[in-house]
Amino acid sequence: MDPLAELKQTFFQECEELLGALEQKLQALDEGSTDSEDVNAAFRAIHSIKGGAGAFGCTELVGFAHVFEAALDHLRSGRVALADAPFTLFLRCSDAVADLVAAARNDEVAPVRPDLLAALEQVGQAKAAVPAAPAAPPAAPAAPASDGPPGIAALGNLLAMVDAKMGAPAAAAPAAANDGWDDDEPVAAAPVRRPGHDVRIKITPEADLFRRVIEPRVAIGILPADEIVSVACDLSHVPPLETLDVTDCHMRFTVMMRTELSADEIVSKFDFTLANEEFEVEVLAEAEAGPELVAEAAPAASEVPQNVAADLSAILARLGPAADAAPQPDIQPAAAPAAAPVAAAPAIATAPAAARAAARPVSNEAAARQRQAVSVRVDLDRIDRLMNLVGEIVITQSMLVECVRSLPYDVYAKTAEGILTLSRQTRELQDHVMAVRAQPVKAVFQRMPRLVRELAQTLGKEVKLVLEGENTEVDKTIIEELADPLTHMIRNSMDHGVETPEERIAAGKNPEGTIKLIAEHRAGRIVISVTDDGRGIGRDRLLAKAKSRGLVGADEKLAPEEIDQLIFAAGLSTADAVSDISGRGVGMDVVRRNVESLGGRISVDSEPGRGCKFTLALPLTLAVLEGMVIRCGDDRYVIPIASVIETQHLANTPIEHLTFGQEVLRWRGEITPLHRLGAVMGSAGTRDENIIIIAETERGGNVGIAVDEIVGQQQVVVKSLESNYGTVNGASAATILGDGLVALILDVDSMLRLAASGVRQPVPELKLAG
Amino acid sequence: MSLQLSEKHFTSAQPESAARRIVTFRVGDRTFGIDVGMVREIKGWQATTPLPHAAPHVRGVLNLRGVILAVYDLRTAIGLGSTEATATHVIVVVDVEDKTAGLLVDSVSDIVDVPVSAVRPAPDLERDEHGLIEGLVLLDTEIVALLDLAAVIRDGGDNQDKQLRVA
Repeated sequence: MDPLAELKQTFFQECEELLGALEQKLQALDEGSTDSEDVNAAFRAIHSIKGGAGAFGCTELVGFAHVFEAALDHLRSGRVALADAPFTLFLRCSDAVADLVAAARNDEVAPVRPDLLAALEQVGQAKAAVPAAPAAPPAAPAAPASDGPPGIAALGNLLAMVDAKMGAPAAAAPAAANDGWDDDEPVAAAPVRRPGHDVRIKITPEADLFRRVIEPRVAIGILPADEIVSVACDLSHVPPLETLDVTDCHMRFTVMMRTELSADEIVSKFDFTLANEEFEVEVLAEAEAGPELVAEAAPAASEVPQNVAADLSAILARLGPAADAAPQPDIQPAAAPAAAPVAAAPAIATAPAAARAAARPVSNEAAARQRQAVSVRVDLDRIDRLMNLVGEIVITQSMLVECVRSLPYDVYAKTAEGILTLSRQTRELQDHVMAVRAQPVKAVFQRMPRLVRELAQTLGKEVKLVLEGENTEVDKTIIEELADPLTHMIRNSMDHGVETPEERIAAGKNPEGTIKLIAEHRAGRIVISVTDDGRGIGRDRLLAKAKSRGLVGADEKLAPEEIDQLIFAAGLSTADAVSDISGRGVGMDVVRRNVESLGGRISVDSEPGRGCKFTLALPLTLAVLEGMVIRCGDDRYVIPIASVIETQHLANTPIEHLTFGQEVLRWRGEITPLHRLGAVMGSAGTRDENIIIIAETERGGNVGIAVDEIVGQQQVVVKSLESNYGTVNGASAATILGDGLVALILDVDSMLRLAASGVRQPVPELKLAG
Repeated sequence: MSLQLSEKHFTSAQPESAARRIVTFRVGDRTFGIDVGMVREIKGWQATTPLPHAAPHVRGVLNLRGVILAVYDLRTAIGLGSTEATATHVIVVVDVEDKTAGLLVDSVSDIVDVPVSAVRPAPDLERDEHGLIEGLVLLDTEIVALLDLAAVIRDGGDNQDKQLRVA
């Protein structure tokens, strides 16, 4: 992969995390958090996305992220109180950013939502007006704003300035080394003057700036665009052509701004993109500002946007009278201690960013950065390979155990202890590698708030989603399989469970419904529950529907719990109108099938009028499974323990012979089909069935499987048959037993289909009790 | 007992510019060949686990250092019945398309360089309706049939009992 594509991939990976963080922080703030670190983290997240997006030319994303960032900045600076902030809007915006990122990832262009953009602009403007009121009216917007939102226009304006500056003199610069733009002619006067003080920021990036995927325009773009007076680029450090490395950054920038931000605030803005020693912020006293500006800010007059020229000339106009005046209080640099040593000079307060950063108490932000540094990003492929190898070792080790058994006793005794230790260590190694593969369910959970928000809007319901146990870890093979069932379950609760606000009020409930999504470890499984406080399952309607579809006999009497289980039957939906959300009757039965094919279980508890709880229990991994090793003739098979209900002796079981050699047995009062595994799978050797395994099928029925012998029960490493062969009917995968031979892992349902293809037999009846 | 084939076995003799390096092996009295590049490893016979209702030439699956691969009986594939596998039989582990597979043969005989010009197209032999033979090479004493491995693995000699496809 070429380096750029690789960088891009990394960027999008990071975006996922950043989006997660953004949403999480906004959610926390929405729920009343007043932690300024939450605001900062949200800001940082969107800022990082914007920065990366800029580097990869995702224009729409940059534009939107910029406006979003600007709105969040108002929160950060305290111009908008947290209590007044429109977090619902922000959350929707974070969804929009996610869409834009997804589009950019696929090299598509997603339309920017103009309504959100406008709303975000509103946030900015409403805020800005309040504190500026007592002083002079705020300066005119930076751009004509005839096309596009002002935020973007302002940014565009700034970029245009930089581009213009970088374009024009670039050719001449290397020749006249020290003749950059630092000393061009000043510009004419105009009357407007914004409040605040003049600040000069010198940016001297390290040569590796671009390799850090930071663009100067991104770094400078973080400053409020309309407060920037000028941006000058010093090209004097560009080396001669022979030694020029274009991936190095040789540009230095001087940014002049008129702002109310303190030096510290400016420093903190740059902290995200630039190292401390790469920039220096100086707050200029009025007296000094003039000459500096004349020297520093030197855009060619024709290329300067009008308002910038105006600002600049305003500064010049004020220069004369202010020259001998004492510095006014409001332009005192915020970094007071640093100001002291240079006070003798006519009040240039220089405070190198590095010094001040060191003086600041270690912020949460720095601590957060340190925490990140201790984790390492590892390609999942590598972990898979490691996992494979550990699987090998487990097999080799059990092979060794069998070899050792055949040794004479005195030798055996000596080796046995070593072998035992090896077994323990191997198991531990396996656990640790599995732990590396484990991921918190957060990866899936964090997609749900958006789903709930969007559904709530579509359905006109008010729903609060509560997440618990997001850090519960489970193997990545399971994580990948969780998203679909959870989405379906949440949709179901949103659509059928939670009522509309009116209905809820009428029922004496809080108009806002609550859905709880909880994950926890229980008995070696991960248990995830989705609980809503809605109306519960409408049993009458469900039963009527099941009867009309012939799933339940017309006169059959079912216990309430049995009726609830009908929700998992195929083709049942009680939604009165078929909607996009659910109600096509392909919801919960599909969920159940998928969950069971993973060796999991799903159940439902409902209380009419009070709510409904779906509980999902899944194994912690799909890479290993607990299996029962059985033998038929010469062949051995593994049947997942999760499928086995019980085993019994064939001799003690009453068996009836039906037509075409089909057999059934009576088990717990049910008529259960019986299949002889050896016959179905075509096992070699003579068979002598002794044992019946009662197994559960995906469709809810049971089946008896006759086998010769139960060899044992053990944890087996699941190996794909597809990767080098293809699908095998009757088996889901294979494993390697202790003697190095392969055994097929039976898939009960697939085996039944295989059996049915030989002998015509009715589809097993749906069994309702769970 | 397994022989790992790697580049260093062959670097001593520089091949002619337009030559194919062929691994030859025997099934009964016939000699077959495949490009050496497709051969990953040659190992002694080891017991396989049969697959339910697979085509007759699919002997079953085995464990090759943790990877599960299927073994195909070349004798069955060319219509000569099933191999009575013993410890002296050989499994040629090959890479075909994106899969790894084992080919059960009687023995591996040689590695030879043949000029590309010496490879003749397979005549329209009435028996080879499956297109298992890609070309023929005349060596000093014998005719080597170059196998189209993908076809061998896909169809075998007799596909009347192809895998059941159940929806």
